Amino acid sequence: MRIVGVLLALVGWLIPVVGITMTQSTSARFILALVGIAVTLYAIMGVLNKAHLKNAIWKS
Amino acid sequence: MKFRGRMRTTCLCAVTILLLLCGLAAWAQSQPAPAASAPAAAAPPPAPAMDQPLDVKAAAPPSTDDLTAKGDPAGTSTGTVSDVVPADSKKGLTLADVVNQAGQNRIAINFVWTLVTGFLVMFMQAGFAIVETGLCRAKNANHTMMMNFMVYGFGLFAFWVCGFAIQMGGGGPYATLGGIYPLTSEKVITVLGHPWGLFGMHGFFLSGASYDVGAMVLFLFQMVFMDTALTIVTGGCAERWKYAAFAVSSIFMGAITYPLFANWAWGGGWLSQLGANFNLGHGYCDFAGSGVVHAVGGITALAISMIIGPRIGKYTRTGASNAIPGHDIVIVLTGCFILAFGWFGFNPGSTLAASGNGALRIGTIAVDTMLAGCTGSFGAILYMWIKYGKPDASMSGNGLLAGLVAITAPSGFVNTVGAAIIGLVAGVLVCVSVEFIDRKLKVDDPVGAISVHGTCGLWGVLSVGLLADGKSNYGGSWNGINGSVTGLFYGDASQLIAQLIGIGTLIGAIFSLSYVAGWIMDIIIGQRVSAADELEGLDIPEMGALCYPEFVLKPETVAGTAAAD
Repeated sequence: MRIVGVLLALVGWLIPVVGITMTQSTSARFILALVGIAVTLYAIMGVLNKAHLKNAIWKS
Repeated sequence: MKFRGRMRTTCLCAVTILLLLCGLAAWAQSQPAPAASAPAAAAPPPAPAMDQPLDVKAAAPPSTDDLTAKGDPAGTSTGTVSDVVPADSKKGLTLADVVNQAGQNRIAINFVWTLVTGFLVMFMQAGFAIVETGLCRAKNANHTMMMNFMVYGFGLFAFWVCGFAIQMGGGGPYATLGGIYPLTSEKVITVLGHPWGLFGMHGFFLSGASYDVGAMVLFLFQMVFMDTALTIVTGGCAERWKYAAFAVSSIFMGAITYPLFANWAWGGGWLSQLGANFNLGHGYCDFAGSGVVHAVGGITALAISMIIGPRIGKYTRTGASNAIPGHDIVIVLTGCFILAFGWFGFNPGSTLAASGNGALRIGTIAVDTMLAGCTGSFGAILYMWIKYGKPDASMSGNGLLAGLVAITAPSGFVNTVGAAIIGLVAGVLVCVSVEFIDRKLKVDDPVGAISVHGTCGLWGVLSVGLLADGKSNYGGSWNGINGSVTGLFYGDASQLIAQLIGIGTLIGAIFSLSYVAGWIMDIIIGQRVSAADELEGLDIPEMGALCYPEFVLKPETVAGTAAAD
């Protein structure tokens, strides 16, 4: 799951970076940037952090 | 009767004549002077040749006999034409000598400014050291101080070997520091039809052509910024991080992680060129490093904190958070003042100039910095006072730091109202973030580094895209785009998009790089100390000596946390 989380975070980064090469529209670029940030935040908080909390030291 | 009548008439006539004379005088003054007959246009004097000797005596240099006898108490005879050194003493002083001296004076002013502000930033290491140590328990004080002490050396060494070259090797020429022309070698790839600057390729070991006076000034200034980012991580991972793992991690961050993002933002890399290549404002703008320094540090701290896990006793078996207070609030708040003082070097120094190219804005930048710190502390103290009934000291200090972190990126581009707003939002944001990271994410951060530097650093990056007022002018352009940096509220939405891409890069690319590097280090050398060492305190097991050997420290066991369940 950790690898999935890292890959998803990278995908979130690449969404706006690739997106700005494909559209000149300010609105579209703005939405792509927000979508990318949301995907990355989900990857960090929802996937990676959850994977760590499964084996948290305070659960043992 | 006749006499009185004659007198009255005479007076009236006199007054009338007087009034007429006054009117005539006023009329005469209002009339334009008659045009003198224009002389024939004289031929302009020939331009002085640059290499012809000047008549120095006409500048009335002071007599050395007079100075020897009387000195110069008023300072009116010190610093004259006599102090301009001719290139050829036999020929004498020429116009070329004077012009060259003016150029050298400008660069010398900029050198001194950049170096002195760099020295202030270096002193911030002391501030970070005592803030972090004060917020940790006494049994870990030696270890925490030593991390902050040696991060200076580890980071400096890594930066000298390759970090500076990766970061600044391709960003030149640097006009305010005399050009530094060897630092103009950037690795650029073309993908999807667009150029992407990735890293610099000149300046390793500061040798070869980068053995240059301007390069030395730039290296010192950039190095102290890099070290700030590295020291942030020690706070987030304190009280359970192996010293060896800290050392390796710091060297990696100083050599690779920090310089990579810094190149993209400051070294001519792709983020700074978003304006030139994609019409996104002036590209990613980060005046002094809310993103480059603070967010990189905070995000790396988040990555490694997640890997090494929370301190023993931080959370109960049900996941409830226990407060683990620090041992010395005096040094925490003193450290905050030291940091605030050093920030006068951090932000104003980022002009890399005190002469020319809009550099006189250094006063505005300094005032913006002070104001944001002030309102940051207000935001935090009010939040804590209202919510918890007490003005919490450690959060007030963190609020000051949050404001300073947040203003770092926009400091060169906003007015004082914008600065105050940025700081106030940061002060509240840091409190909310600390609660969220601690209670919802259950990531343990002993000093609040992730919230102060990560969260508020990202807010600082975003605020450039909102509040940059378009009034700054640093030589007429920024990142190669003419005009002043302008945010959404002042008319440029595309600048906000450039900032959002920067934020996405920080939390996507830099977090991933830091996480993978930390994960590999954990597999190879292990990041976390043993439970026994952690409970005893890291001073003896890791450092071999207590910070406070004469004090009897309160024993701490797992049973202490069981009582909190």
